[in-house]
Amino acid sequence: MEVTFNWVYILIAGAVILLFFVGLVARQKTVSEERLSGEVVEVMSSILAGAGVSEKTKNFIDASGLADYTLYFSCQDGVGEFGIKDRPTRTQNSIDPIFAPREVQSSRIVTWSLPYTMPFKVMDFLLVIPSNVKYYVMGNDAEFVHEFLNSTEGIERVFVLGLEQIEPEENLQVRIVDTSGAIIPSSDVPAQLQPFEDAEVSAVVFTGVNQVDFYQKQGPSWQKMNQKAARVISLPGERDAAKYAAIFTADDETYWCNMNKAFTRMEILTKVYGGEEIAYGEAGGKIGELLSYYKNDISSDCQGHLEQYNENALDALTKLSHATAACRLQQESCLDLIEAADLLKKINDKLRISCSVSLY
Amino acid sequence: MINCASHAVFHCIDEKGKRNMKSKRMTRKGQLQMTETIAILFIFFILLLFGVIFYFRYQKIAFQEKQEELLAARAMESTLKALFMPELICSRGEAEPEDNCFDVLKLNATQKVMQQYLDEYYFEIFSYATITVQETYPENKTWVLYNKPKLEFTRKEPTFFVVTLRDELAGKDQPEYGFGYVAVTVYS
Repeated sequence: MEVTFNWVYILIAGAVILLFFVGLVARQKTVSEERLSGEVVEVMSSILAGAGVSEKTKNFIDASGLADYTLYFSCQDGVGEFGIKDRPTRTQNSIDPIFAPREVQSSRIVTWSLPYTMPFKVMDFLLVIPSNVKYYVMGNDAEFVHEFLNSTEGIERVFVLGLEQIEPEENLQVRIVDTSGAIIPSSDVPAQLQPFEDAEVSAVVFTGVNQVDFYQKQGPSWQKMNQKAARVISLPGERDAAKYAAIFTADDETYWCNMNKAFTRMEILTKVYGGEEIAYGEAGGKIGELLSYYKNDISSDCQGHLEQYNENALDALTKLSHATAACRLQQESCLDLIEAADLLKKINDKLRISCSVSLY
Repeated sequence: MINCASHAVFHCIDEKGKRNMKSKRMTRKGQLQMTETIAILFIFFILLLFGVIFYFRYQKIAFQEKQEELLAARAMESTLKALFMPELICSRGEAEPEDNCFDVLKLNATQKVMQQYLDEYYFEIFSYATITVQETYPENKTWVLYNKPKLEFTRKEPTFFVVTLRDELAGKDQPEYGFGYVAVTVYS
């Protein structure tokens, strides 16, 4: 009887101890997974922060350790978010624009930082490009195609003459860049892309000057994702950050959300260059200091370029300030930004040539 | 049961004594075992307590180290961000901006703007921090660009970086350059 009791006692105690350790292991597993995802997000944040300030640099990140995880990027109501899918750890940011696909599961990620200028530098756009997406560039904008192919070395991209030339590879998602704006809207999804999941095939179409449309495969046809025309707000020139951002971002919603972050910074920057008074057409900030310095220098062109000539820096900056404020409220008004920025750029060049000073 | 009547008296006494002695021996053995168990349990709990204290002390130290590590990383990140701020950099039109250079005219304006948008915008970039630019040559001017120290901070990490200060209005036909440093202090 005593022996039996001892065995029951040992069994119960053993089971309790075993249960305790099983519980401990399970808890530790959850904690370490959460910690790992936290560390991953932290490391990614540091990488992105570093990449964001290193102007015009491409970083090739070996993410083979993260290949099992799916990183997600989103942007809504001016707040960007990224983290690991189905994990609680995430990070939010309403300052730095990150242009990326919605989800990234790749063993290699390219981060590319491009300065956005309007006409002065506003901020660096960070483009996140996974190695498992292949970009097919087509269309008749030869100048841009040439520039794109030259500047995207290290990224999976290829020029094709038409949709029929696309040779998709296994395990690679497809994004088509239609630079002429006529190919995708008038075509069906090519046969070789039909077996792919809808989410794996998308297209970005530059349908006109400063206009972009986002398309997604839906069965045999293309579906336009943006209801209204999405605008590319940038000045013409090489490595147009806003245009490149459109190519590498998921859709019009995230594109515009991230662009809005740039417009917010731009509004602040107009106050650095023009002061708070620039909203009323008066000079403050850097232009205010330049004007006070050249106030008595009637002989030079400096005061003229700054304030007195028909096309002057103060008026151009005022126009830019108003356009920025309007753009933040209404997307359609953003096109005015281009004209205002272009004017300021011309005046700044004149100022630099004739006065050896510049606004930016 | 032993019937004493049927046995010699000394035999009966002997049996009783044996029984008593056996009973006493068993009680003593039981007490000994009980004391032994209590002692083992006591030692076990003492060891457990040591383990728990050690674990929590280790966790506390690890947590503090992690916090210090994060603060140092934030200090570096904030300095990096400050150095590349479009509000401060020496831009050259459409050309690449000058490295590690701040525009004095922009500094004057940025000081006001950053103060104005401190909570609304810049706090998300720099959090609890103080950023000052100190000119060392030709003058000794100080610009406090961002000042948001944590009220009851436990530790702070200052970082310094040498910069050139470009003043476009000071030189004749070309900008004049001064020297200084940017001091970024972060708090936690």
